[in-house]
Amino acid sequence: MKRNHLTLKIFCLIVLNDLIDTLAQVLMKKGLVQTGIDSVNLGNIVQFAVKNASSPFLWLGIFVFALNFFVWIVILYKVDLSIAMPVGSFCYIFVPLCAMLFLHESISLIRWIGIICIILGIHFVAQSKKPAEAELQANG
Amino acid sequence: MVKIILLVLLSEAITVIGQILFKKSASNVGIYNLKIGGDRIRFLSKILTLPSLWLGALAMVIGLVVWLLAIAQGDLSLVFPIGSLQYILVLFLAHKFLGEKVDRMKLVGTLLVMAGIVLMSVS
Repeated sequence: MKRNHLTLKIFCLIVLNDLIDTLAQVLMKKGLVQTGIDSVNLGNIVQFAVKNASSPFLWLGIFVFALNFFVWIVILYKVDLSIAMPVGSFCYIFVPLCAMLFLHESISLIRWIGIICIILGIHFVAQSKKPAEAELQANG
Repeated sequence: MVKIILLVLLSEAITVIGQILFKKSASNVGIYNLKIGGDRIRFLSKILTLPSLWLGALAMVIGLVVWLLAIAQGDLSLVFPIGSLQYILVLFLAHKFLGEKVDRMKLVGTLLVMAGIVLMSVS
C-alpha cells in the first residue's frame, strides 16, 4: 500500500522546500534591487526587463525555483496535498525566528501567539488519521 | 479594496487549481522507488511528459502574476489574511477532486495555521 501520511523524512523535505523557496525569493529580490529602478511604469518597463534579464541573480533565483519544483513534486508523490500545504506554512515562522536570532529583531506578543498557532496547527495536521489506522478502525 | 480582495481570491483559486493538477500528476505517474537513482530519473522524465503537470505550471504562473498585481496595490496586512483562505480551499478541493480524507484533526490543524498567519500579518 502506498503511504500517504507524514513521516519525519517528508516533514524535513517540506521544510527544505520552504528554505529553498526563501533563498530563491531573496536571490530574485537582490536581482530586482540591483536594477536600480524604484518604480516600474510603461515608459521604463522594457529597460527594467532587459536589466533584469542580464542579472545573474535573477537567473540563479529562477534556477533555484525550478530545482525546488522537483522537491515539491517528490513531496506530493509521497503525501496528501491537504497535508503538504498546511505543513508548508512552516516558512511563516521560519523567517521571523531567523530575524529574531540573527538580526536581533523583536517579536511582538501577537506574533508569538501566531507562531504558536501555526506550530500547533502543523502538529494537528501531522496527527490526522494515518491510513493504516483508519483501516484498522473500520475493520475493528 | 473590493478589487484587491477579488484579485487575491482569484489568485488563490488559480494557485490551488495548479496544486491540485500537480498532485494529480504525481498520483498518475506510476510506482517508482525514489531510493534508486535510475528510478528517480525515470520518475522525473515520466512526470514531465504529463499534460496535467504543464497545465498546473501554467496555472501557477497565472496565479503568481495575479498575486503580484494584488500585492502591488494592496496592503500586505490585508492581502496575507485573505490569502490564508487558500488552506481551507485546498482542504475542500483535495477532498472533492483527489478523494483525500479530511478528519477533525486535519480541519482543526488547518484552521489553526490560518489563524496563525492572520495573527502574524496583522501585527
